[in-house]
Amino acid sequence: MNTLQIGHLPGIDLAEVRWQDLPGLALPESHRLQVPVLSPEQLQALCTHLRGPGREALRALPVREIVQAIDATIHVLLDPSSEAHQTLLDWLPRVTGFSPEMVRVNLNATLRTYRAPQLQRFVSEDLGGPEMLDGFAPRVTGGLTHAEGAALLTHVWAGNVPGLPLWSLVSGLLVKAGNLGKVSAGEPVLANVFAQTLARHAPVLGQACAVLWWDRQDSATAQSVWAASDTVIAFGGDTALAELQRQMPPGVRFLPHGHKISFGAVGREALSATRAPRMAQRAAEDVVRHEQQGCYSPQVFYVERGGATSPQEFAERLAAALQQLDSRFARPQPGLAESAQIAQWRSRLEWDPQVHMIGQAEHGWSVAFHAQPLALAPGPLHRCVQVVALDALEDLPTWLAPRRRQLQSAGLAVAPERLQPLALQLASCGVTRVCALGQMPLPAPGWHNDGRPSLLDLVNLVDLEASTEALAEGLSRYEV
Amino acid sequence: MATPELTQTLLDFIAQPHADEAMFNTLALRLFAHQMQHNAAYGRFCRARGRTPATVRQWQDIPAVPVNGFKELTLSCVPVDQCERVFTTSGTTREVKGQHHHPDLQVWNASMRRHFADCVGPLPMRMGMLFPTEADMPNSSLAHYLQLALQDHGLPRSTHLWNAQGVDSAALLAWVQQAQTDGQPVALLGATYSFVHLMDALAAQQPDLHLPVGSWLLDTGGFKGRSREIPMEAFYAQLSHTFGVPRTRCINMYGMTELSSQFYDAGNASVPSIKRAPHWMRTRAVDPLTGQSVPPGQPGILVHTDLANHNSVTTILTEDVGIVTEAGFQLLGRAEGAQAKGCSLAVEDFVQAAQA
Repeated sequence: MNTLQIGHLPGIDLAEVRWQDLPGLALPESHRLQVPVLSPEQLQALCTHLRGPGREALRALPVREIVQAIDATIHVLLDPSSEAHQTLLDWLPRVTGFSPEMVRVNLNATLRTYRAPQLQRFVSEDLGGPEMLDGFAPRVTGGLTHAEGAALLTHVWAGNVPGLPLWSLVSGLLVKAGNLGKVSAGEPVLANVFAQTLARHAPVLGQACAVLWWDRQDSATAQSVWAASDTVIAFGGDTALAELQRQMPPGVRFLPHGHKISFGAVGREALSATRAPRMAQRAAEDVVRHEQQGCYSPQVFYVERGGATSPQEFAERLAAALQQLDSRFARPQPGLAESAQIAQWRSRLEWDPQVHMIGQAEHGWSVAFHAQPLALAPGPLHRCVQVVALDALEDLPTWLAPRRRQLQSAGLAVAPERLQPLALQLASCGVTRVCALGQMPLPAPGWHNDGRPSLLDLVNLVDLEASTEALAEGLSRYEV
Repeated sequence: MATPELTQTLLDFIAQPHADEAMFNTLALRLFAHQMQHNAAYGRFCRARGRTPATVRQWQDIPAVPVNGFKELTLSCVPVDQCERVFTTSGTTREVKGQHHHPDLQVWNASMRRHFADCVGPLPMRMGMLFPTEADMPNSSLAHYLQLALQDHGLPRSTHLWNAQGVDSAALLAWVQQAQTDGQPVALLGATYSFVHLMDALAAQQPDLHLPVGSWLLDTGGFKGRSREIPMEAFYAQLSHTFGVPRTRCINMYGMTELSSQFYDAGNASVPSIKRAPHWMRTRAVDPLTGQSVPPGQPGILVHTDLANHNSVTTILTEDVGIVTEAGFQLLGRAEGAQAKGCSLAVEDFVQAAQA
């Protein structure tokens, strides 16, 4: 029996901890995942440790050392010979349903965005550098400001896209917060392996973060965690987030990240005979990477008329590229309910005389071509995409407007002179990230997820006003 | 075209004591050819899958129409303005409703009568209907079904226990007391959610609702989001406890607006019960992407072939998950619980958001 215990619990006597199987996960009989069941006292002790000694030791480190420690940990996770790397490759396909090949390719790409140079940029991006985190930094207008991380930052992770938890956990460590992460049953592994590797190679950081799981119904645990938290960052569907919002005690900063929808847009200039195949290949890669499960994954491609390749030809090229990728990265078998959803989605489109459906249901992908414009709408994922012909990409706002609140990434393939005007139009529609077609599931390090700052939301900016300095001057020993 | 000859063939088929595989297959293929010829939308659907009377040799290969086809398409061999009755699916007013057109109800009625009499009882019985009358809901197949049951098998004092607010609890209490006084067994029939509403409404009062010995209950349709969802085990335990009716006499009918026949279990002593089809109906559990049957004993999406569906399509892909056995099928639940696994907005969230 291959058992993995999901739980990193600094400050708790592990000999006293009871474990149970993580419910709701279909694993082969040879594998089991266990999660800790903490008593109210243990949970209290954990929160006290994270807020107290755990965080205080982290707070004493300069950002530079924290960055080095995370970098070293990422290095271990990337090292094919390390035990941590092996654990990830063994377990991630089992829990997420992604193919081992897909996990291997994506894991490395994801982890590489957390190396030292990227982390330094992360800090500079939001705070101009580490000075504000390490102490008070002078302001241009006088006085000083310090960025004080939350004493306890709680993360509620959702979904099965590996890497999502790392983004918020690393942010929490950079701002020197105490971190408590609740993993999702869909992907409980990566955050746990990261925290344990951190503890081994950088004990101070390991003492400042905990990873655990509790049942959604377990309101007692949830309530004590919220009560101990300064800030709660949560990922999930609208219903789950609304429920969390209701549970938050007054004064807790709640940072919800809901489910999002993303799309690609291909300009006519990208549709020449030589360019179109490459664009279709990029679009297919965006679809296949993470199996469209990510908020940044495309569900619709808007393709402009007037290029050498017509939108319908582009759709057929996309289908061909998906077929080709299928041989290397076969689509994981969707569950029964998901298969039923794909079948319903396909049949609904097949009955629409405006739609040309490419590919059969038993193929590992579906491309639906629409000759008429269509509002952005989500599909059943699992490599089901729609290609929509548009006379001009500048018409996009009309078709994006209904999804304003849920928009996230736009993957663009357009000429340089169109790029900024179009991006500005998209920004006004609610798009929060514009990237190259082919890069949609690979957000740049330090990206502003859902348009929010990565670090600024996690700190209090503490002002030390000039008047304090002035008054202090008059109160020194040597003042006469 | 609903030819009198085809109708007669179906009425004769339903009247037979049983049908073997060959007889079922012959009639199924005949209906398939008829429907492809007279139903343009279905013809296109089948040809896109390369299925025609020339290539389909057994009923299992008849293409199954997903239930949403009844919303998106007009699935009728007879022009709909010549159809005597249309049954529509339940749903909120904002939703598009599925429509099932019937040129006349001869076959529908024969199907209902034969299988009801075979599976439900004892009959005749004093009946209480926890559902509106057919006059109030002319497009409800369930209202029509209950009307037939009442008409054919209802003893005096049979009635609808329903008012504008839903189940008429005051009328029900009086009706139950009358039955108790008379010492006369009775039957309560209605939507599953109506039984839940009733039990919830009377929970505080705790009146004596125990029905006389020999009574039975029939529920159908599940909760449909109209009442709180109760696990099947708890539902039948509470039902049996409330009305003092043994669980072997708590019968569940499985029916769909998109079908013209029903399934029944032999009580719900244990759940999930086995639902039995009449001899003019077959059920398979399939992989919805390939349409192929799953191995015996494995859960799949249920596909029903109902020969009484002569004017629409015989074969329907449901959204229900079930296991098919020799005796019938076990319903495991709806396949609608598919949640996005990641943080990508998916169809279901969208539907929920649109309804919110």
